[in-house]
Amino acid sequence: MKRRDFLRVTGTGAAAAAAGGLAPLLEACAGKPKPVGRKVIVLAIDGMDPHLVRRFVAHGGMPTFEKFIAKNTFMTLGTSLPPQSPVAWSDFITGAGPGVHGIFDFIHRDPHTLEPYLSISRSFPPSKTIKLGRLIIPLSGGKVENLRRGPCFWEILSRHDVPAIVFKCPANFPPVETDARTVSGLGTPDLRGTYGTFSYYTDDPPADADEFTGGECYPVRLWDNTFAADLVGPPNTFRAGAPPAKVRLTVHRDPTRDLAKISWDGGEVVLKRGDWSEWNRVRFRLAGPLADVAGMVRFYLKEVRPQFRLYVSPVNIDPLEPALPISTPRDYAGQLARRAGRYYTKGFPEDTKALSHNVFGEEEYLAQAEIVLAERMRCLEETLADFDDGLYYFYFSSIDQNTHMMWRTMDPQHPLYQPDAPPQVKGAVEHFYRAMDPALKRVLAEVDDKTTFFVISDHGFAPFYREFNLNTWLLNNGYLSLLDPTRRDETEFLENIDWARTVAYGFGLNALYVNLRGREPHGIVEPGEADGLAGELAARLEAYRDEETGDRVLVKVYKSRESYRGPAAAAAPELILGFVPGYRLADESALAEFPRRVCKVRQDKWAADHCIDPGHVPGVLFCNKPVAARAPALRDLAPTILKEFGVPAAPEMTGRPILG
Amino acid sequence: MAKIKIDGELWERVKKAAEAAGYASPEEFVTHVLEKEMAALEGGAADEEEIKKRLQGLGYIS
Repeated sequence: MKRRDFLRVTGTGAAAAAAGGLAPLLEACAGKPKPVGRKVIVLAIDGMDPHLVRRFVAHGGMPTFEKFIAKNTFMTLGTSLPPQSPVAWSDFITGAGPGVHGIFDFIHRDPHTLEPYLSISRSFPPSKTIKLGRLIIPLSGGKVENLRRGPCFWEILSRHDVPAIVFKCPANFPPVETDARTVSGLGTPDLRGTYGTFSYYTDDPPADADEFTGGECYPVRLWDNTFAADLVGPPNTFRAGAPPAKVRLTVHRDPTRDLAKISWDGGEVVLKRGDWSEWNRVRFRLAGPLADVAGMVRFYLKEVRPQFRLYVSPVNIDPLEPALPISTPRDYAGQLARRAGRYYTKGFPEDTKALSHNVFGEEEYLAQAEIVLAERMRCLEETLADFDDGLYYFYFSSIDQNTHMMWRTMDPQHPLYQPDAPPQVKGAVEHFYRAMDPALKRVLAEVDDKTTFFVISDHGFAPFYREFNLNTWLLNNGYLSLLDPTRRDETEFLENIDWARTVAYGFGLNALYVNLRGREPHGIVEPGEADGLAGELAARLEAYRDEETGDRVLVKVYKSRESYRGPAAAAAPELILGFVPGYRLADESALAEFPRRVCKVRQDKWAADHCIDPGHVPGVLFCNKPVAARAPALRDLAPTILKEFGVPAAPEMTGRPILG
Repeated sequence: MAKIKIDGELWERVKKAAEAAGYASPEEFVTHVLEKEMAALEGGAADEEEIKKRLQGLGYIS
């Protein structure tokens, strides 16, 4: 058995537990589909906002969009409830709502155990192991499961022999097994199994280093201009207790020049101050020569002296040697990397956390965002080279992530607005809108009279000025009780809740759950009383006003019983909060913590958002054909695209074709 | 596939809980619960700090 085959059988730590499966067999059996004589192209630009499009087109920097709008359809596209990317793109993929696909929020809780998990995918460790000394050898592979339910429209196209290329569609990890050529998008973790954890090595750690989220700070001490430190990788399930696998980095600072050499087993790189490296492979050894797992990192040498500061990107899955299934066929991610160069494989590649924690300054963050965009443009070129016929879908994250982080720099009303910021910082959001113009121009070159062409986004944007703490509000209003009120600042994840005296709780970014008997482990609300309680909560929340500003916080609180239909609806939260633009749920409340104040000013640089009322953050719809529907929505796209190929919609699809 | 005996009253509760939680069947629910318990016993389950780190990698939560 080859080493690679062995890893597929055994799994290589939690991050690699899903390796293997039926993909190689399917690849071997898949023939090249016959041409169908039609093309549908979807350019997906996450977070593109219709108001900002109009504003920036009027500024004159988006000539291709301006010409397209003059001759074609441009309108708003209804988003999902709630307007969160995993929910919205699941609406798109399935042609249906959360009642069918079962994705209600970024974060779900297991109703039986109340354990939190990311809603898009879940990993399960190997179920059978044997112990050999300190090693625990997995005998059966673990798995990563895509938790989205319901149909997937390109899978249906594949069954009808319509070829498809789908690059980085969110909520498609692990990618649906089809004959289509796909690369997974949002939901794809880094090699540690997180949504992104950078490493920061410095002899001048910031005071809040212990509070970093989405990254780790490693204090170092240079002796004779040298230090050694670990780069942390995936949990090593070959070892008792699954400690993280590590790669030892040795860093030499040049004694006189602003240079440093970083070396590790299998590689080295020399950087000048301010340099970004290319992608470098790092190999984590799990069980001596038996098993290892490959990842890749980029280094950024922020400062050499007087202080030393080295940033290392999250350890991305290497598309040339993927430890997890990130594409179909399994080698398609690698085929692209060989032609376009390696590229970020984790879901959202822009390192927003490094900016939030001031590891990156504004310009450094924007430089990293430019690297992401340049990689994406190369992938656009190479995937278009593969496209002759059928469906082509290509996804950009740049506008979404950079609007989250940089809106505050263009909005004088924002509490974090800096009037003296450099022009490139103040103009960052507009810059990334303009950057989509060459992408549109390139894709339009592929559009002919047999092509139906869409540009879509999953939602728009709004500023994020003030935070609302739902769980604090529930506590203050007697709907929720704590076991130990003196520990309210120390606990999280629902652990301090007195379930015998709690009727409702918040978890996730828009969700409110009733503590339902028969569903929650200590539920006290009888199923027959849940509707009445949900109605009371909705009315009181809609009437609530920010005590400091007097402003209303919620436009509407939606009842899932009235909003969702389908087999997954029973698992939905009872209420979905639709915030007024300017407000969003506080981060602490999303993880069921209990800050003292119900509302407060947003202080994080992640200072614009879309997890609000869906009516206020529609996406965009551009199309080269007339759209007959008066209020098209994301879930209408799947049946529309299927119809363009003469393929019937799946019975679960609630969306309707929108073209005339 | 192995079969196990389960108390009738408990089975009724399992069926209700599985339906309320949106599982496709009581068998799927029972399998899921047992998988998780076994993972915890075998030391493979992520602890809360690990779960929190995963969630906080999302820009949406600090």
